[in-house]
Amino acid sequence: MNVAILSPEISLGAAAAVILLAEAFSAGNLSRVAILALATLGIAVSAAFLIPAQLAGVPTSSFSGAFIQNGFTIYFKLLMLMATFLVLLGSGRFLAQAEGRRAELVALVLLTTAALMLLVSSTELITLYISLEMASLSTAFLAAWMKHQERSAEAGLKFFLLNALSSAVLLYGIALLYGITGQTQLNGIARELVGGATPALLLALALLLAGFGFKVSAVPFHMWTPDVYEGAPTPITAYLSVASKAAGFAVIVRVLQTALPGVQTEWVGLIAILAAVTMTVGNIVAMVQTNIKRMLAYSTIAQAGYILVGVAAGTGQGLGAVLFYLAAYTATNLGAFIAIVEIADRTGSERTSDFAGLHARAPWLAFALAISLLSLAGLPPLAGFFAKIYVFWAAIQTGLGWLVLLGVLNSAISLFYYAQVIHHMYMVPAPSPAPGRSLPTLVAGLTVAIAGVFALGIFSGFFMGLAETAARTLTQ
Amino acid sequence: MVGSFGPIVIAIAIATAFGLLPLFLSGLIIPKMPDRVKNAPYECGVETIGPTSIQFHTRYYLYALLFVIFDVEAVFLFPWAVAYRHLGLFALTEVVIFIGLLLVGYVYAWRKGALQWV
Repeated sequence: MNVAILSPEISLGAAAAVILLAEAFSAGNLSRVAILALATLGIAVSAAFLIPAQLAGVPTSSFSGAFIQNGFTIYFKLLMLMATFLVLLGSGRFLAQAEGRRAELVALVLLTTAALMLLVSSTELITLYISLEMASLSTAFLAAWMKHQERSAEAGLKFFLLNALSSAVLLYGIALLYGITGQTQLNGIARELVGGATPALLLALALLLAGFGFKVSAVPFHMWTPDVYEGAPTPITAYLSVASKAAGFAVIVRVLQTALPGVQTEWVGLIAILAAVTMTVGNIVAMVQTNIKRMLAYSTIAQAGYILVGVAAGTGQGLGAVLFYLAAYTATNLGAFIAIVEIADRTGSERTSDFAGLHARAPWLAFALAISLLSLAGLPPLAGFFAKIYVFWAAIQTGLGWLVLLGVLNSAISLFYYAQVIHHMYMVPAPSPAPGRSLPTLVAGLTVAIAGVFALGIFSGFFMGLAETAARTLTQ
Repeated sequence: MVGSFGPIVIAIAIATAFGLLPLFLSGLIIPKMPDRVKNAPYECGVETIGPTSIQFHTRYYLYALLFVIFDVEAVFLFPWAVAYRHLGLFALTEVVIFIGLLLVGYVYAWRKGALQWV
């Protein structure tokens, strides 16, 4: 048993424990900078364990094959560590205001990340389920963190209850899969499934997809997303929309590719239908939203639809495209959300119409939000454009032309509501100058995210190469 | 499949009938002469005074939560203690880490004043 393989996750857990203890012994008044420094240290140590493992390039596994470390998992873990770091940077003023409770928030975020990292490495259904529950439980707390605000409490409760329901569905799927094959190891399941699709297996597949569909908010399992995204504190919404989603997709592709290749034709069909419905519903409902967080919630649903197109492609190229898309989406969505954290904080409003004339009041924030939204819409030369190109290209090559056509149509629709926000910021005159200066940490986080959006777009060939290399280790 | 579950299905049917049939039969033949006392809900003990739904202070909730954590800790410790001789040093280290983590939470709750009755 090789416990050292867990070092990246343990570092994050240790950082969380240290932050809590430091808070406890500093008379409940640990400064924001001290907390952020400790968290950054934990993230840096975690990454320092991952990068040598990546360079060594040897896949290792431990705990009787329940936990694996290879290029695929390290790609996702580094992505999530980066996302966590940027979210913490972006939550500056929010933490500054939360006297006495901010240590809890940061510690919970670190613990959630550790759980999500366990999740992408699990190759056994029970380990996978427990990691998923660990992540979900802390997420529910984070969503309800502003407990005196009705919206936030509602978000937490809603997430908790609906998540419990989806977990039950997922467990039914796992139980059926175990009943059919007598295995909980993913590759063991693949070994036992030789006969092709039986009704019981199809039921298990449907239940698993419903459970995982909830985690990545695919339509029709998306109902919780807008309410939770709107009610949760905005930095937490940013975190949920990138880190949890990336881990959810990592699990979907791992389970489908390693455990269920025997029924590939069946799941390709199901995922393709999910993708089509998800992107269409997400985009159409986003058009009528007036609250920017709700709009972005539906936008993330639509984005999940595009990523599912890549999952449906199912080839090595499709997997690489999914991984690249997730990186581009992470940078872009973080850029948008960090900008919104600051804008909403300054204007005291989350309504799109109150963003009027923002470019005159806060040029950098307006520019960053505009770039992020254009990247989400998929305009060249930004990251979102190349992400969509790769995903659609992979899907065309496996004969999913109709899905790609629908995706392109959806991108056109999405431009409408993304451009509307930009129109408000740049064309409508400002009502009054908003006071305040941004915290340097937030500006740094925002700059890194926007630089990522440009870099992933301009050097897309290089990053796509990385993503494809990482994807290849999944099926090895 | 049906063959092996057959006896169970029969047992369930007999058990259900055994419970319901006497109720049904006695309902058919008993003389019915209800009065106020007979219609009152059957109860043991003293009659309650005042409304029966009372409000608990939410503070109990915090104690219950902390209690559950250490209750579950004890549940985990029993099997470990029974198998201690076979497991050796590795399990000891694991349990120390486990309790250490719980202690972190406990210290945090304590220092944050969760145990103070205000």
